[in-house]
Amino acid sequence: VIAEDQALLREGLARLFADAGHEVVATVDDADRLRAAVSEHSPDLAVVDVRMPPSFKDEGIKAAHWIRSAHPDVAVLVLSQHIEAAGAIDLVSEGGFGYLLKDRVLDVAEFMEAAERVQRGGSALDPQVVSTLISSDSEGGMGGLTPREREVLSLMAEGLTNAGIAERLVLTERTVESHARSVFSKLDLPSGEEGHRRVLAVLTYLDPRRNQG
Amino acid sequence: VRRLNRVLPWVVAGAALAVAVFAVVLSALAGEHGDPWWQSALGLCAVLAAVSIGLLITVRRPGHPIGSLLLAEGLLLASVGAADGYAQYAALEDPGALPGAEWAVLWGQSSWPLLFAVILALVLLFPDGRLPSPRWRGVFIGGTVAIGGFLILSFFDPEPFEAPYEDVGRPLPSLPDALSVLWPVFFLGILGSIFAAVRAVRSRFRRATGIERLQFKWLAYSALLVPLVLLVPVIGGVVAGGVEDGAFTALFLFMLGAIPASVGVAVLRYRLYEIDRLINATLVYGALTVLLGATFAAVTLIVGVAIGGDSTFSTAAATLAVAVAFRPLRDRVQTQVDRRFNRARYEGLQKVHRFLDRLRIGRSEPEEVGSVIADAVSDPSLRLFFWLPSDDIHADASGRVHAELPPAPAGRTPVRRGELLLGTIVHSPELAESPGLLDPVIVRAGLAIEIARLRVEVRRQLAEVEQSRARIVAATYEERRRLERDLHDGAQQRLVSIGLDLRHLQHQLGSGNAEAKGSLDAVVGSLTEAIDELRELARGVRPAALDDGLAAALRELGSRSPIPTEVEATEERFSEDIEAAAYFVASEGLTNAVKHAGGSRVVLRAARDNGTLVLSVSDDGHGGAAPGAGTGLTGLEDRVAALGGNLDLRSDDAGTWLMAVFPCE
Repeated sequence: VIAEDQALLREGLARLFADAGHEVVATVDDADRLRAAVSEHSPDLAVVDVRMPPSFKDEGIKAAHWIRSAHPDVAVLVLSQHIEAAGAIDLVSEGGFGYLLKDRVLDVAEFMEAAERVQRGGSALDPQVVSTLISSDSEGGMGGLTPREREVLSLMAEGLTNAGIAERLVLTERTVESHARSVFSKLDLPSGEEGHRRVLAVLTYLDPRRNQG
Repeated sequence: VRRLNRVLPWVVAGAALAVAVFAVVLSALAGEHGDPWWQSALGLCAVLAAVSIGLLITVRRPGHPIGSLLLAEGLLLASVGAADGYAQYAALEDPGALPGAEWAVLWGQSSWPLLFAVILALVLLFPDGRLPSPRWRGVFIGGTVAIGGFLILSFFDPEPFEAPYEDVGRPLPSLPDALSVLWPVFFLGILGSIFAAVRAVRSRFRRATGIERLQFKWLAYSALLVPLVLLVPVIGGVVAGGVEDGAFTALFLFMLGAIPASVGVAVLRYRLYEIDRLINATLVYGALTVLLGATFAAVTLIVGVAIGGDSTFSTAAATLAVAVAFRPLRDRVQTQVDRRFNRARYEGLQKVHRFLDRLRIGRSEPEEVGSVIADAVSDPSLRLFFWLPSDDIHADASGRVHAELPPAPAGRTPVRRGELLLGTIVHSPELAESPGLLDPVIVRAGLAIEIARLRVEVRRQLAEVEQSRARIVAATYEERRRLERDLHDGAQQRLVSIGLDLRHLQHQLGSGNAEAKGSLDAVVGSLTEAIDELRELARGVRPAALDDGLAAALRELGSRSPIPTEVEATEERFSEDIEAAAYFVASEGLTNAVKHAGGSRVVLRAARDNGTLVLSVSDDGHGGAAPGAGTGLTGLEDRVAALGGNLDLRSDDAGTWLMAVFPCE
């Protein structure tokens, strides 16, 4: 299911998924129809625009929360115009959820990879959001990380698996694993977590507001 | 009947005048037996005054008994005069020439108690034509009975007429002598009822407020003339060895005219309010005359004694002394008279005076003038509204506009300075009845009122300018918002969808055409760059993150900063205008810190403090920032000021610190 109020973009997205070999069961243009379509079709993935009628504020985020609680088996990928959207990060760390900037769709390979990862129950957080989190954490122990370790941390926050990170950085999976372990020990995080639990740990560390409660 | 009511007063008045003229003619014909000319003139004037005022009252206030009473008095006076004249001619000058001389003597000598009846009624019914209370009907009836009895006794008196008519026989039969014991009874009855009537007037005056009080003051003012006029021959006799007949007559005539005239003023309420001023002026100029006369006499005497008998010189010196003394003496006497007889006015003016002194040395604000006037005239409900000619509307001292002034019964008094209307004073209805208090207070406070009015007007115009500035800034912001939305939802989305089309095209090319696919990759790459640039542009116009609040926008701002930036922002939401202005202040401050300050760290802070939003940008650079050319601070200052806030910049070796404070509720 694709929910996007702008017709051109909606059709473009539908074609993109179709080209990649997926089946688009419904395209809708507002949050109410999105809820109806999700209930009717129980899709693998719902792609949701943040701004939709009537208020063009955070209808998409609200709908995403509803889907995740009413239909836990439906993964949600939220597309946004902007980096910050309150409430999205909570969902990211639960898994089965992605938050990407809209223009990311033009990088088809990465976009589809993220979408499929989310659909499988993984996470996806836009690289720009991640870099915002990392740079705003100027107080933390980030200084102790090597540039490579930072890259690995960012990609972990984006929701990539070790295999995905290895592919992205053109490294072996074992090298990535060792970098990750190093990051976790340097930041004093519980090691050995996998999947969305790892994302949760990283994001909890990065997002100071969540620490404060 | 109505027609009769309308015509009758004129008939009575005409008859009275005719009879009065007839009396004068008869008295003249009576030669040496007649009255002296001035006595005839007096009689005529008395009739004229009573009749004309009576007529005026009956015309203006139909049915008012005092008009009828004055007419009756005129007619009675005329008839007595005519009876006297007729008796003088027919009984003394040319006996037997005319019939009924004895009747004329009888009327002339015995009808005077009727005048008392009229006066009694007049006093009891003054000023509204009603008795003070039903109890007084007894007094009225008693008086009437006594006067009636007295009349009967007079008409049927067995005694001969008084001189010079002792030889004229009485035309009516005599009453038994035994009834003469009733004389003192009726006489005391008349005296008693008149005494009671005077008491009635006194108690009425004490209870009277407002208009009624003024009416009594008019009566008292003219009634006081009676003893004064009667005293004149006595004083004149003592001081100058006698008063000229002509001068006394003039005074007496004045008195005769003044009493009905003041009764008329009281009843008709024409210029009723002048009485206080009139009494005041009488007191002031009376005292002034005495004092200046004494000055003149003293100077004449002293100079005459000192230099010898040159009377021209001493008169000139005395005149000069009087001329010099006039103005200060008048002011002083006026103050003293006010102090003694018009306490309220005196103290009111003193209060205004003290206020003006405080105003001059800057201890009071001109806007307080309204409450000072309220205090000066002891009317807590009094309010002063300033007239704003540009808007054709009234405003109070705080500049708040009042389209409608408080309605009746509140009194309104316009405040003018020359031709210019300064404002309107709204006050209790009672105050309208003593303009002798309010008017001088307003005149004294005039300058302060004018200053206050100008200040209110300027403040109001300033407020309008500020509002329009705020509107312009708000409109600018709205425009930015629209532009940002257009960029995001229009151009940017369109570019993304074109990119998607290209990707679709690329997909359709299949695996065959690698070169074309590579070119498409490059095209999509530059399209992505264009989208990034567009996003940056839109962010500069208005950061979309503001939709999620100031804190979100500041965090985003800080995250893009090339130097470490700490953000401590409250998650509270404020009005959109304030959030936007605060964001732009932060953005400008951050840009300056990055560009010029050369610091290693910037702190962005936003916190609610005591009804304000305080936003600050501080760095640890080398300072040197100054408002003015080259910085965007001037524009920011306008933006902040338009929201009622202010912008503060400090810059020294320890760093630069920019702070904006916005009022917010």
